[in-house]
Amino acid sequence: MSATDVIGIERLEALLRGDAPRTPEESARNALLSELRAATLRAPEALRERVLATAPARRRLALPRPSRRLALVVVPAALGLAVAAALVHGFAGSNAKPLAHRGSPQTVQSLQAIKAQPPVYGVAVGSGGGADTAIPSATSGLQAQLPSVGNSGRLQHTEASLQVRVPDVSRLSAATSAATRIATSLGGYAQSVVYRTPQSGGGASYIELRVPAQNVRAALAKLGALGSLVSQQVSVQDLQHDLAVESAQIAQLRRTVAALQKALHNPALPDAQRVLLQIKLAETKRSLAQRLHARTGTVASGTTARISLVLSTEKSIVPVVHHRGRLGRMLHSAVGFLGLEGTIALYALIVAGPLLLAAALIWGLARLRRRRDEQRLLTA
Amino acid sequence: MTIGGPGAVGPDVNAVSTSLDAPAALSARPGFAEVAGEQLDAVYRYLVYLTGDRAAAEDLAAETFEKAFRSWRRFDPRRGSPRTWLCRIARTVAIDWFRAETRRRRREETYARELAVTTDDIGFGEGLSAPLERALRELSPAEREVVALRVLLELDGPSAARVLGISQTACSTRLSRALRRLEERMSDVRD
Repeated sequence: MSATDVIGIERLEALLRGDAPRTPEESARNALLSELRAATLRAPEALRERVLATAPARRRLALPRPSRRLALVVVPAALGLAVAAALVHGFAGSNAKPLAHRGSPQTVQSLQAIKAQPPVYGVAVGSGGGADTAIPSATSGLQAQLPSVGNSGRLQHTEASLQVRVPDVSRLSAATSAATRIATSLGGYAQSVVYRTPQSGGGASYIELRVPAQNVRAALAKLGALGSLVSQQVSVQDLQHDLAVESAQIAQLRRTVAALQKALHNPALPDAQRVLLQIKLAETKRSLAQRLHARTGTVASGTTARISLVLSTEKSIVPVVHHRGRLGRMLHSAVGFLGLEGTIALYALIVAGPLLLAAALIWGLARLRRRRDEQRLLTA
Repeated sequence: MTIGGPGAVGPDVNAVSTSLDAPAALSARPGFAEVAGEQLDAVYRYLVYLTGDRAAAEDLAAETFEKAFRSWRRFDPRRGSPRTWLCRIARTVAIDWFRAETRRRRREETYARELAVTTDDIGFGEGLSAPLERALRELSPAEREVVALRVLLELDGPSAARVLGISQTACSTRLSRALRRLEERMSDVRD
């Protein structure tokens, strides 16, 4: 039986650490180790002088190599940079308001401010704070005071808000149901209904309605007749110019997409340029999709009017605003930009992945072969 | 400095700075001349064991320190001790030498091989018994190498495995086999 069979690797490591031998075989092994260690061998003085002549006497201060921990800093920093770039892009892009919401801020502005902007026409009718002087039997009188909306032949976005008071909660419930029926009967629908009747008494309904633009006048007349009209605001924004601009941009983007696709079909195109063109094509397609979406929104907002109706049993009514603010637009744009960054990163990974994998495989095989050669050399 | 018993090896043979403080690591970094003076004997002895040729070991040690000096800026004390780092360089240099020797022996056929094998005045160290000297000579370079790293230079398992480019278990197994062979050869000589 050989010594290895008796002395395991763990015991050998223990002997190397200086543990006392337990068996005769371990004693023999320990004696061998002691003899090996006891032997002396000095480097010749000539070699020492040669080596020390190579080394400068003064201490050289050198920066250590960057450790793997650097990746723990670099990777989060890169991700943070990407997010920051997206936020900056979103912040810059949030200045331009989407057309689908353009009419919203003007709706809550004062009449004077609305009138200061030529493309927007506004009308406000109200009791002027005298709650008891609400417009009675509003239908005929109201229509007389409404401007001519929804029938100009141009694409226009109409927004209206009405505040109507009803005598009690039972009438509030009936008026709420009636409002949704009115919208449905005119080809529209109720987008949201919030009905509140607190224990303290009273109550209110906040109803967002969508009706076809051509039926706005009829809708306002019928909704105003649900109770005592407290106030009413109507704003009309012309969207024809915006629609024309968007259509022109879409046509331009489509031409660009066609040109890029034609260029990419060229087999002689260098790979680097192909990648750039493909990225540009993706960006152009994304812009085109955005423009198409915006134009759809413009057309939708031009063909459908928004009516915010507040039915209340109380004197004071605070309107509810549901529009997306600048922060929302910024976040929306930032998320889009992050998506683009992710697309580019994914594309680069798809292109470079196989090359990196092949390089890693070649490197691994070369390393394995080198190790085997070394082993063969040293065991010969 | 003489490398002899365990006491001759400094207590910081396998010392690795675990400090993450960069300025502290820089200030604790020794100078190259200091390291060269401390580690020359160890590297020389390792090369003598690896090559079995003192003259070659001398040349290779000088080449090792020249290379080490050129790449001294890349040495990071946090990743390993200077001795481990120098042994890795020495091993690379020695393997190149082995390759060159193999080519040379092929050219000169058997004469040089016989000359190398039958040289009796190599000496792996003063104080070794004749049977142990002979037994060491009969080991392969790979076996002598692991004995040198683990026993003489007192590198710990992970450091020696890193120098050899193998796993720690393989390193321990190789050492166990080398020592067993040494014992067998010595008993053969005594018998």
